[in-house]
Amino acid sequence: MEYVSPEGLRLDGRRPMEMRQIRGEIGAVAKADGSAVFEMGNTKVIAAVYGPREVQNRSQQMNDQALVRCEYSMANFSTGDRMRKPKGDRRSTEISLVIRQTMEACIMTHLMPRSQIDIFVQVLQADGGTRSACINAATLALADAGIPMRDLVTSCSSGYLNSTALLDLNYVEDSAGGPDVTVGFLPKLDKVTLLQMDAKLPLDIFENVMQLAIEGCKAVANYIRELLLENTKQLEYRRGV
Amino acid sequence: MLHSKSFVKKTRGGKVTKVVREHYLRDDIYCGASICKVCDPSVARLSASASTILILDTNVVLNQIDLLENPAIDDVVLLSIVLEEVKNKNLSVYNRVRSICSNSLRKFFVFSNEHHKDTYVKEMDGESKNDRNDRAIRVATQWYQTHLGGATRVLLLTNDRENKRKANEEGISAETVETYVKSLGRPDLLDLLVQNASGDVGMEDVEDLRPSKRKILYTEHKPMSEITSGLHRGIYHQGKLRVNRYNPFEAYVGSESIGDEIIIYGRTNMNRAFDGDIVAVELLPQDQWHEEKSLSIADEEDEEEEGVHLVPGSADDAPRTTGQLQGSSGETAPVSFRPSGRVVGIIKRNWHSYCGSLEPMPKPAGSGGIAHALFVSKDRRIPKIRIQTRQLENLLDKRIVVAVDSWDRLSRYPSGHYIRTIGEIGDRDTETEVVLIENDINSRPFSSQVLACLPPLPWSVSPEDLTNPIRQDLRHLRVFSVDPPGCKDIDDALHCTSLPNGNFEVGVHIADVTNFVQPGTPLDEEATQRGTSVYLVERRIDMLPKPLTEDICSLRADVERLAFSVIWEMTPEAEIISTRYTKSVIKSCAAMSYIEAQAKMDDSRLMDPLTTDLRNMNTLAKIMRLRRIERGAITLASAEVKFQIDTETHDPLDIGMYQIREANQMVEEFMLAANVSVSEKILKHFPLCSLLRRHPIPTREMLQPLLLTAAAVGLNLDVSSSKALADSLDRAVGDDPYFNKLIRILATRCMTQAVYFCSGDLSPPEYHHYGLATPIYTHFTSPIRRYADVIVHRLLAASLGIYKLPVIFQDRPQLTSIADNLNYRHRNAQMASRASVELHTLIYFRKRPTDTEARIVKIRSNGFIVFLPKFGIEGPVYLTQRGENGGGEWFVDEQQQKIKKMDGSLSYSVLQAVRIHLEVVEPQPNRPKLHLSLL
Amino acid sequence: MRGLQLPLNQTQKVRLQRALEKLESLSSKANSNASVTIADSIPVNAEDSLLKGHGTTVLNDEVLATTCGIIERVNKLVYVRSLRARYKPEVGDTIVGRIIEVAPKRWKVEINSGQDAVLMLSSMTLPDGIQRRRTAVDELNMRSIFSENDVICAEVRGFQHDGLQLQARSRKFGKLEKGQLLTISPYLVKRRKQHFHHLEQYGVDLVVGCNGFIWVGEHIEPTDDIFEGQVHKPEQHTTENDEDSSSLEGQEQSYTPLETRQNICRIANAIRILSTLGFNITVDVIVEIVNLSSSLNLDVHEMLGPEFHVLVAEKEAVQRSLTKKKI
Repeated sequence: MEYVSPEGLRLDGRRPMEMRQIRGEIGAVAKADGSAVFEMGNTKVIAAVYGPREVQNRSQQMNDQALVRCEYSMANFSTGDRMRKPKGDRRSTEISLVIRQTMEACIMTHLMPRSQIDIFVQVLQADGGTRSACINAATLALADAGIPMRDLVTSCSSGYLNSTALLDLNYVEDSAGGPDVTVGFLPKLDKVTLLQMDAKLPLDIFENVMQLAIEGCKAVANYIRELLLENTKQLEYRRGV
Repeated sequence: MLHSKSFVKKTRGGKVTKVVREHYLRDDIYCGASICKVCDPSVARLSASASTILILDTNVVLNQIDLLENPAIDDVVLLSIVLEEVKNKNLSVYNRVRSICSNSLRKFFVFSNEHHKDTYVKEMDGESKNDRNDRAIRVATQWYQTHLGGATRVLLLTNDRENKRKANEEGISAETVETYVKSLGRPDLLDLLVQNASGDVGMEDVEDLRPSKRKILYTEHKPMSEITSGLHRGIYHQGKLRVNRYNPFEAYVGSESIGDEIIIYGRTNMNRAFDGDIVAVELLPQDQWHEEKSLSIADEEDEEEEGVHLVPGSADDAPRTTGQLQGSSGETAPVSFRPSGRVVGIIKRNWHSYCGSLEPMPKPAGSGGIAHALFVSKDRRIPKIRIQTRQLENLLDKRIVVAVDSWDRLSRYPSGHYIRTIGEIGDRDTETEVVLIENDINSRPFSSQVLACLPPLPWSVSPEDLTNPIRQDLRHLRVFSVDPPGCKDIDDALHCTSLPNGNFEVGVHIADVTNFVQPGTPLDEEATQRGTSVYLVERRIDMLPKPLTEDICSLRADVERLAFSVIWEMTPEAEIISTRYTKSVIKSCAAMSYIEAQAKMDDSRLMDPLTTDLRNMNTLAKIMRLRRIERGAITLASAEVKFQIDTETHDPLDIGMYQIREANQMVEEFMLAANVSVSEKILKHFPLCSLLRRHPIPTREMLQPLLLTAAAVGLNLDVSSSKALADSLDRAVGDDPYFNKLIRILATRCMTQAVYFCSGDLSPPEYHHYGLATPIYTHFTSPIRRYADVIVHRLLAASLGIYKLPVIFQDRPQLTSIADNLNYRHRNAQMASRASVELHTLIYFRKRPTDTEARIVKIRSNGFIVFLPKFGIEGPVYLTQRGENGGGEWFVDEQQQKIKKMDGSLSYSVLQAVRIHLEVVEPQPNRPKLHLSLL
Repeated sequence: MRGLQLPLNQTQKVRLQRALEKLESLSSKANSNASVTIADSIPVNAEDSLLKGHGTTVLNDEVLATTCGIIERVNKLVYVRSLRARYKPEVGDTIVGRIIEVAPKRWKVEINSGQDAVLMLSSMTLPDGIQRRRTAVDELNMRSIFSENDVICAEVRGFQHDGLQLQARSRKFGKLEKGQLLTISPYLVKRRKQHFHHLEQYGVDLVVGCNGFIWVGEHIEPTDDIFEGQVHKPEQHTTENDEDSSSLEGQEQSYTPLETRQNICRIANAIRILSTLGFNITVDVIVEIVNLSSSLNLDVHEMLGPEFHVLVAEKEAVQRSLTKKKI
């Protein structure tokens, strides 16, 4: 299968180093402390953050830091075939864990002892790169909830098909069976907090592919930063003096 | 820069699924014309002086690919939508178009109209996909017209009347291919044109020639939807049609749904399917399942007959004799007849171009007019093809290449078009060329990019090579090579020294090809494609360029060469104590031929160190060989022949059996050992991505013909295991000296060939090599002429940590496809060698009618097949004349494998020796063939 | 941008847009580059002994923001005032909260903060108003003072080892009844001297909790009898068992005139509008909005329609430009 034409265009018309269109929107869930919708092309994810709030299960309470929980789910209508998705299956448990660990790494949990932060992410539309979109949405929602963080975490995936490194795989490219590298990145600290790949790739190629994903993360970070700044300004000027 | 456009695309499978895909429209797609001022000139492909820019419609690309490959057609813009349609309809045409596009000499430019913001068209309501694509083509043409602003003419070539009409209406200049080609004034191009039945020129005038045939000859193919549902319901069966090489009116379809092969008899039932087509088959009612016919040599309606052929080397080359076993066992149970069927539809065509010649016909009076001719392919499985030509008088005595275009229900034969001429029929070079084309062998000289990868000449071992820590200096060893006489690509050398402890150090040194063939270079890619060197009788087609093959890699005598060595320490009982692998530098002290080496060993007066080494090795080899046979390795035999070629004319002077000496076996033994050692090493390091070679265990059915023959001569063969078979073959000693060899030859041809595979694709028990009786095996010892060995060298180097493992090994599907290609190339190389030998046999006997001894190997209803050991060929001998069905006079005794005259005066049984007269006859002009007759 | 989830038509959209743009232009220019997002560096001249406050962290001699918000500098202190965040309690804040649990000697109160607050029985002025040691009987009667889901008003007393302590040592604190509790983002509430407002013209009490909980209820005179009534009621229950009279009495007491109830809703809706638009919540603005709605003869529910939102935004823009000019 030809995923990159000799003319250098991918199936959807992007070039290998191009991301899909990204769009974020802060404040999608009225009742939540923070919420956001994040789109990467046709992948659309909604995230809601509750907290910091009182720990629900007292035994989990930690006296020196906040408890971070995350729940990932996929809406039944998120894919082409409408399937009843069992809650807590392997995949969603794994992604929940991945998102939780990624977010926990950048939340300053020690500032909020004896409290709990709940992150709910739901995939509304799946077209590849849901993991990345979830992390980006969760970052926006956490920032919206005013939870102190060391840095913004952003995520982007990249892959390697037809001997070409591709940024931000969509569903078709994702299901091609090639390597799919998902990177979570802290742009200010210049650190990688998440790195996942479920295939084999030679080291030198892998580095290129990972670097491409990091570039993608940086682009996402710039966008998110602008979005947040704009949001803060709006809140501030609307509030008045 | 990104414009997003999502759209609902299609439904898939049985379920209706809404598919939404993004579709980005861009403004950075350039037109590719050098004269364009707006677009990026760095990507321009079209020449600045082009008077006309051609834009092609899909049907033009699909049908006229041969025309496009002609350099006369240039400055062409291919739209991505056209390429996509071509890809979906015919992948091989797509690949050909793509290779034109990537050829830097041709001015073909691919314009991604589907992603250009101005040329993307959205499907309108009620518009079919085809109409939409046609519209997209017109929109893109229009865009080119306005974009280039009249600087050049933009011409749309289409054979679709409707599209042409609409284009003209929209103010686009459009023409059919024919008008365009005619306007070029090149009559030779016209022959390349496909006369499309649906195009402007119909088949009417062709049919006029044969008014009697103007009736429906074939049933209509079922529409695809019906086939799919039929397959679904199990009424139809899908499979690849394989036509019997020896009887083009019989074909087999291996069907997974039935788990058996469906036999299809006759052209009517084959219903216009070609060999290799994927077809849908309907089973005939059981009472129409055919009686065994394959016992007869002659065909029901064929004008041809079974010819004389080389002896098949393995079951893969042997004629199919599926019926035989059924015939013998199925006397009581008619159910065991093979299911027969007929083709109801063709799912995927396997049409390509074919080599052959025109059927002889009177030369036309005038010249230049359009004439119709029938083309006869060299490959007997292919039916005759009807073509039109304007140069008939030139083509009649030529070998030509022809492509198939269509086959409609009304015509007995498919119609096609001429592609090119190879040369005169019967000319050795032409026929060799045909052999190469038929077997898909690339005999073109190496390209400049490939040659650029070679090290500068003259090459010699550099000081860096010597100081390289991965390379061991073994120049002090007494290394020598033993090869066939005249061998120039020496890829293996040996040494054997006695150690103080009484053991021997034995080394196998293989040319270090991977030192020069680096992965990913054009040289490497070329070698991957070629896969193997091809040895024809009078010429060799190299896998690697000549400097590498004959000089730099070749381990010639008295020069320092780089090698990859396997070194064992062996006890005098030939037990391997230790194995070590290293890259090395060697200096061979002697390059001997088998005869020379044998002579040295046999000459008891010689006591020089080299001879001692040879004798030591021979002793070890004998022990190893014995041990191998005890393990169950089968000593196979083949009827290889050797030609003596006139150095001037390249005509064969003499023909003789290839003699195997002890020296051959000695070298072979050590090569086997090296291969086994290396395979163990690489498999240990790379259990999932090693390239190994396996030889499948032959099934009982495959061995059935052997057993039958053996039983007829009162021989009981035990085939329960390779060991048992080997033993019983050893016991099979008849009263004449050649009997054992004959049995072995028969056994060999029952087995399939060994194949390369990727270790990750199969489970370890399947790695087994039956013939050699080793659990794993690979090829390591001939990297100059086999690409598999190059791969194994790289694997071994990586397992030693010398080099990094190249990227392709990470990719199992790719490795599998390489292995498949190697198998394909090897088979083709063998077929080509055989064809070349057949060709030379024919040339040899043309002037020398001969009487010789032959053995009967198979009994047929009207004769028998004989094998001529001296010349390694076999062919039919008819007891009855063709045409009369000699059923009355002769009858066949199945059990005893005998054919008897009714009055009992004469009888012939299998393996019996007979005297045969051999001569070349020409039943038709320019069609010489060997004819055998009983003396 | 935080989108408004309102079904606006085209003209309304334009008008709203214009009003918001006006607001943006009115906001002080100096403030615009004072906003930071997470991981933005906060410009500081290498001033010595700078105090880094909330929402900041130091990385390689660079001060970084950890939340989105506005940089504030008070003398040597630099901190980021985050906007949308949960309530951060400060001592002395008046808050409105909801009882979620009655525990030994204490109530647990939900106050929209990272943790639940604790109101000790001992930090509570008893209904009888007498300063004395709390007895076991008092402990048993805790539910008669506040039970689960009651809304109360209290003051932040301070932090003790395991959490936030509240106190309600005044008549003005205590249980809130006959009204609505609204939840808004705490950043819209400014800390002021006065958080209790009696809107006499509507007969409504307004308690603006610093934690973003706002109480709108019927005005109740902080007299002793109410407290007495509250205290005596359970006693009546236990001693007399005079069901009829007590229920009648209860009905009478719980009766709120329709007009007051409408006023409560009107005020609540005004607050909702302000919250949706993200405008600061002050009594003056609330009253203005309520007046505006009444002058337009809008029904209570019509206030939440898109048109009124736009009107409020426009009015706010005018208002602010006026105040700006005055300055």
